[in-house]
Amino acid sequence: MPNKLLIGLAVLLAAGFAAFLGGVFVEPPAQAPSALAASQSAEDFKAGFALDASTARLVESLQATLEANPKDEHSWALLGLAYQQRARETGDPSYYTKSGGALDRALRLDSSDSLVYSGLGSLALSRHRFALALKLGRQAHALSPTIARNYGVIGDAEIELGRYRSAFRDFDTMTRLQPSLSAYARVSYGRELIGHTAAAITAMKLALDAATDTAEPAAWTRVQLGKLYFNHGRYRAAEREFLLANETFPNYAYALDALATTEAALGRLRRAVGYERRAVDLIPLPQYVATLGDLYRVAGRPLLARRQYALIGAIERLLRANGVRVDLEIAQFDVDHGLRLTHALALARIGQRQRPSIDGDDVLAWALTRNGRCGAALHYSQLALRLGTQDAVKFFHRGMIDRCLGRHAAGRAWFRRALALNPRFSLLWAPVARRYAA
Amino acid sequence: MRKLALVFLVAAGATLLALFVGRLAPSSSSASSHREAPLISEDPTADNTDLYAFRSPDKPNTLTIVSNWIPGEDPAAGPNYYTFSQTAKYNIFVDRNGDGRPDLTYSFRFKTPTGPYFLGNTVQNWTATLNGKPWASGKTPMDNIGPRQQALAKVRNYETSAEATIVHENGVAIFAGQRDDPFFADVGAIFDLVAIRKPGTTGNKGGGRDFLSGYNVHTIALQIPISQVDTPSHTIGVWSSTDRQDVVVNGVVHKGWTQVSRLGEPLVNEVVIPTGLKDLWNRTSPANDAQFEKYYQTPILAAVLNKLYKVDAPTTNRSDLVAVLGTGIPKVTYTGKTFADELRINLSIPPAAHPKRMGVLAGDNAGFPNGRRLGDDVVDIEEQAVAGFLMGHKVPLGDGVNGNDVPYLTHFPYVAPPHQGYANSKATTA
Repeated sequence: MPNKLLIGLAVLLAAGFAAFLGGVFVEPPAQAPSALAASQSAEDFKAGFALDASTARLVESLQATLEANPKDEHSWALLGLAYQQRARETGDPSYYTKSGGALDRALRLDSSDSLVYSGLGSLALSRHRFALALKLGRQAHALSPTIARNYGVIGDAEIELGRYRSAFRDFDTMTRLQPSLSAYARVSYGRELIGHTAAAITAMKLALDAATDTAEPAAWTRVQLGKLYFNHGRYRAAEREFLLANETFPNYAYALDALATTEAALGRLRRAVGYERRAVDLIPLPQYVATLGDLYRVAGRPLLARRQYALIGAIERLLRANGVRVDLEIAQFDVDHGLRLTHALALARIGQRQRPSIDGDDVLAWALTRNGRCGAALHYSQLALRLGTQDAVKFFHRGMIDRCLGRHAAGRAWFRRALALNPRFSLLWAPVARRYAA
Repeated sequence: MRKLALVFLVAAGATLLALFVGRLAPSSSSASSHREAPLISEDPTADNTDLYAFRSPDKPNTLTIVSNWIPGEDPAAGPNYYTFSQTAKYNIFVDRNGDGRPDLTYSFRFKTPTGPYFLGNTVQNWTATLNGKPWASGKTPMDNIGPRQQALAKVRNYETSAEATIVHENGVAIFAGQRDDPFFADVGAIFDLVAIRKPGTTGNKGGGRDFLSGYNVHTIALQIPISQVDTPSHTIGVWSSTDRQDVVVNGVVHKGWTQVSRLGEPLVNEVVIPTGLKDLWNRTSPANDAQFEKYYQTPILAAVLNKLYKVDAPTTNRSDLVAVLGTGIPKVTYTGKTFADELRINLSIPPAAHPKRMGVLAGDNAGFPNGRRLGDDVVDIEEQAVAGFLMGHKVPLGDGVNGNDVPYLTHFPYVAPPHQGYANSKATTA
């Protein structure tokens, strides 16, 4: 599927979407498709990758059931959810559109099925439509008030809407109703957000223990645990978790991407590129493609880097076409790479309004900073750090703001704090932090 | 980006994948308590699959309780080998006075020894408490992975060394570890709307496919002297459950335990409890089961059977099912007025010399629903009971699978040795 996706992207690019990228790149963007096409080996096509072939089979079987009985509400609901799993497995966002279609059919057949509302809620989350997700999660909860899962949908939406107090309460309720991987992982995330790292690790280990015997969820949980280590500069511990994740569930794109970042932090650029290329081949998520570009850039291969960056815009179009909001992600990418800064700031404002979370605040702060509006940026940076989250990137952004405002000592303190926490927090910016911290 | 990952988890990750895969692959749709609340399917180490209670045929003065967890262990699923969860608590309860509350609580916790880590280290240490007091401890045998693994661990005969782990404490024999899944059912057909594979029959003529064939589970088995559990009425109720630790965002130490799965009578969760209430049912104790009584009165399965096979099963006022599953068989396993999901057994009924798979329905009172033996065909019995057998409406329903794929043992723990990963019986029979 990712191959199909890439071909789709190539076609899109060739068809003129390239114009959209106009002026950003030194090379004519029209070269991107040919580079892409060349990178497709015959082997890639044979592989027919799927994280779990059974989801594809499930989709087929549900489609057959529905052909025979188009009024089978439950099968429409399950098909809608299965499409979301396919989106997760392949990175192909057109499954979101299919999922929405199937769930809408289910809803028309039976408007009282809680599963449909939670399915639509999780779809809204995937599309970064958090206010809608919150509404749908609450509808699901009203229909089945004793189900733990609905608290996950509601709490996830609240997190992104910056309503942390109620989100944490909902995660607590979810855990009290049914401690499970899903609940523990959320409690861990809450603890991470409030800066209780050791406690976050404890909760993620509970999640991991609740995931034993299920390969993909276990691998996912290990990746999260590894990222907690990585964010605190414990690269060896992180690497161990990522390797185990990839062993538990081979060719796991989430683990490969995390391994790439870790290898880069450990100074093994070539291996990092290898891992990230595999991740991108499996699931071309924009952040993987951006990381691969950054790795090429750091490795002194600007041409290859630009080719990766060129893909971001096309993936963005594809995501948008399937209802996914990506303003914040694109703003962050553009700001990080010094592209279209005015436009990026406008995007960041939109993104932060949709997502007034500490991440939304941080991206807006960073966009304002890079546009020289450091006074306004300070306000958002303070918001971004309001929970006490231990995040080197946010510390770095704050340092840049202080520096820009002429508060050099304060800036240096933030840079040092970022580096003390995670000396290799970013391929592009950790070296800058080191320079300014001195 | 973290967000994205979490969203994926709720959206379609673990929960739903586990839920869905069960529709196709037997690997995650196994024993009777299977297709339950999605959040249970996702947590196989906490998933109670089956519970058995019977007077031991070779030691009739003892009661054997077998409780199984972890559905659908594929013997050849390495490198993801199966073990009990180290952060869960596994419980077996005995109610001696019919109030739905435990009078004896056997709780087990497991730890995988740390040390040189290698995948496939499946020997776990266990400690057990009885009514909250330290009681017994032991080791599980290793999973039955293959001859090389066993050679490495200096195991000559798997079963001999597995049975050598049986602990005797205060007259009770205790076993914990991997076993063959003793449950047998045409799971694929059951979840395809109780379909029956043999056309033109209602399913009691064979022809079904045992979806549990070749799969393992993790078992805790107790053999308890009847004198330790007997009551004036000789009838007791048994159930099992799994607890996980309760944690909150703003706190470091866990605050206690929450029940995430339970099992008394077979298939209640699947056949009786509506989807939207399965989470609630799984965390409820039998003493509070009265809230579910109305679903026994109007079993969904009866309507489904009528629609499919026109068997004319009564769909309302099923006080027969309420009695048998909720308060006991009148005059046989009746424990009083409290409605509670417990596997009830009358300890005064001796083991049958020739057990009948249809148990009480075939006149063999030593079997289900008086307790449950490994070989009792609970799928056929429950289909026929739901169709109205106890109201005199006898329909020969069944799933066409009448016995386990391998013979049970004739001695404790009775459950057959686990299928070996290396030999992988499924590879030849599939």
